[in-house]
Amino acid sequence: MAMRSLVSVVDDDESVRESLPDLLRQFGFVAEAFSSAEEFLASDCIGRTTCLILDIAMPGMSGPDLQRELTCRHQDIPIVFITAHQDETLRPRVLAQGAVECLLKPFSETALLAALSAALRVS
Amino acid sequence: MVMAECELSTGIQSGLGSEDRFRSIVDGIPSLVTILTPAGELEFANRQVLEYFCATLEELKNWAPFVHPDDRSRVLASWKHSVETGASYDIEHRIRRADGVYRWFHMHGFPLRDPDGRIGLWYVLLSDIDDRKRAESLLEGEKALLEAVISGSPLPDVLDALCKVVDSTAEGCFTSVLLLDRTGTEVGFVAAPGLPSEYKQFLEGHPVDCAGGPCGMAITLNTEVIVSDMASDTRWERGGFPTAALACGIQSCWSSPIRSSTGEVLGSFAITSRQTGRPTPFYRVLMEQFTHMASIAIERMRSEEALKRSEALLAKAQRLSATGSFWWRAETDDIKWSQEAYRIFEFDPAVTMTHELIRTRVHPEDVPLCDEIINSARGTGSEFEYELRLEMPDRSVKYLRVVAHATKDQEGRVEYIGAIQDMTQQRLSEETLSKTRSELAQIARAMSLGALTASIAHEVNQPLSGIITNASTCLRMLDADPPDLNGARETARRTLRDGNRAADVITRLRALFGKKGVTSDSVDLNEATREVIALSRSELQRSRVTLRTELADGLPAVTGDRVQLQQVILNLLLNAVQAMNSVDDRSRRLMIRTEREGEDHVRLTVQDVGVGFDGKDVDRLFEAFYTTKTSGMGIGLSVSRSIIESHHGRLWAAPNDGPGATFSFSIPCVQQTVKGSRNLDATRTLGVANSEHL
Repeated sequence: MAMRSLVSVVDDDESVRESLPDLLRQFGFVAEAFSSAEEFLASDCIGRTTCLILDIAMPGMSGPDLQRELTCRHQDIPIVFITAHQDETLRPRVLAQGAVECLLKPFSETALLAALSAALRVS
Repeated sequence: MVMAECELSTGIQSGLGSEDRFRSIVDGIPSLVTILTPAGELEFANRQVLEYFCATLEELKNWAPFVHPDDRSRVLASWKHSVETGASYDIEHRIRRADGVYRWFHMHGFPLRDPDGRIGLWYVLLSDIDDRKRAESLLEGEKALLEAVISGSPLPDVLDALCKVVDSTAEGCFTSVLLLDRTGTEVGFVAAPGLPSEYKQFLEGHPVDCAGGPCGMAITLNTEVIVSDMASDTRWERGGFPTAALACGIQSCWSSPIRSSTGEVLGSFAITSRQTGRPTPFYRVLMEQFTHMASIAIERMRSEEALKRSEALLAKAQRLSATGSFWWRAETDDIKWSQEAYRIFEFDPAVTMTHELIRTRVHPEDVPLCDEIINSARGTGSEFEYELRLEMPDRSVKYLRVVAHATKDQEGRVEYIGAIQDMTQQRLSEETLSKTRSELAQIARAMSLGALTASIAHEVNQPLSGIITNASTCLRMLDADPPDLNGARETARRTLRDGNRAADVITRLRALFGKKGVTSDSVDLNEATREVIALSRSELQRSRVTLRTELADGLPAVTGDRVQLQQVILNLLLNAVQAMNSVDDRSRRLMIRTEREGEDHVRLTVQDVGVGFDGKDVDRLFEAFYTTKTSGMGIGLSVSRSIIESHHGRLWAAPNDGPGATFSFSIPCVQQTVKGSRNLDATRTLGVANSEHL
């Protein structure tokens, strides 16, 4: 696991944007939070991001929309989706489209760590 | 006349001493007089007789050839009888006048007897009754025609007969009637029984226009057309009509249009003659009279055809819509049914309909309802509409809807005109539909419950996610060396905040799905009840429930939510109806009563004769999900009670002494002096805010 690599969080929910980067920093990552897909695309973090933690349902551009956009831009960032919608059919669908993992909120730090490890192995 | 007879007899008895005087007297009588021997030989005829026949006494002695051949044998037999028996001679027959025309006469003969009683001679008086006879035969002809028209004889037969009547009245004349076809442009039918068939064929092949002869012209111009001399008339030179007419010996033709009562031209009536000339006043009257008669016959036939068509159409429509019609005079119980009504009840259309007969088909459970409706209709003379079941001989059940409208006849008697619709097919499909609908409703309820759960989960999972992440971070910060106490404090603070956020979600949900803000208005409980009854009327009828209402006059208004209170009333009413669904051994009676309770409450009571409940179950009735029914969620009564309690009232139930149960609620009524709401606005505002959040 390469240390000090950047993990970006995109979620419209403020409590996630506040809490998740702190936990990621406790894990030893550099963490950045964005409130929308558009904000992330506009930032200079895309090229440096080694893993993207992405909310599925957001106003404006959704998580999967952002995933497609990144594929178009040939930005091959491993994605871990997070969602509060407990839809059993969601996980296999996003995994089939290339996501590393899909975590249902609320998730444990163990599950998060496992997902991050998988993502960084991919990269 | 009597005096003349006396003079004559005196003259003869005195040995005919003054024959000249006798002759002058008899010749002076303005009548035809003859004297015959006891053996019946003509002995004397007065001047009028000789002049009438233009014959000598000698020639008249053989008088039989002057009698119309058709009457001759009858006349001779009658005269022979009188001569042999001395009975007076009284007969009507035709006699040929000098000009060859036969006229009707009345012969009146009587014998003159000597003192010994022997017949000395016969007097015979001849009275001309031709005009009377003609009028009589015309009248008879007209009567026969009208009878034929009324009895519905085929129109061609009637028109043929009409022509024959005119022909027999107007000697030497032949009558024809042209009837237009439906398009009004061609001759549809020609009646001309006295005319050669070639003439008829000529007319039938001819178009109806001014060139088509006098009849075509009379029709086209809608006016009378008189041709007094066919040979010299130049109006139809090109049409070939004069040639055809002359070939048939027709010299003159008088035609007039036959008009309907509305003035429409139906055809033409024409009198043709083998002699030239114009119609005399007699013929003018004849033409006018029979043209009118032809119009009556044609119109009658047309309206009958139209009636038959519309009857056939009605029968077809009744068959297609499975709807029969009936007429009922309440006072005499005369009942008339349409074919389709007979078919629905499966009765022979030949039988006379009675209430007793109807009752034999009515489903046994519906007989009381049927009797009640008939009795109340008999009394009030108002409209009625209800649903009724029949039980057919093969035990199958038919569902009917009966609608009737009351009218009064000229004598003020109540009559009903109504329709009976066979709803069986519709009912069966409705039941299927209703079953499907309730299945769908269950699926929809399950689905919306799923959606609701997902929505609640999403709302709660968001803060939970924050709580868990923060708690994890907090632990890590505390475990660090040295511990990051400031960081830990910050994350613990966020944990608290997210915890509160989750609790807020739960509070909001409870506000949204729990007690809602109620509107608070002045509600007339009687009016609210009437509205509910109006909404449930078809359900009551469908379940064959007889409803009685006792709504107290001058009931004070209550304060509350009208719609919620109506939901309670509807719930109690439907519960009562359902409780009686399996009741078949008594009429399903439902009573709704409103009344004052003490000074400051009003009470509403719903009483049924249904299955009822056990007294010890009375408290469980109001628990959510408790139900005695096979369908439904049992949620109605507990919701109803909470609605009534939110109105500061109470709802209770009691088993009846007899079958069934009574449910009542009582709520405070408006105090005349106190007004205003119960500060419900805040709740309402909260409700709106919450739904925006979700």
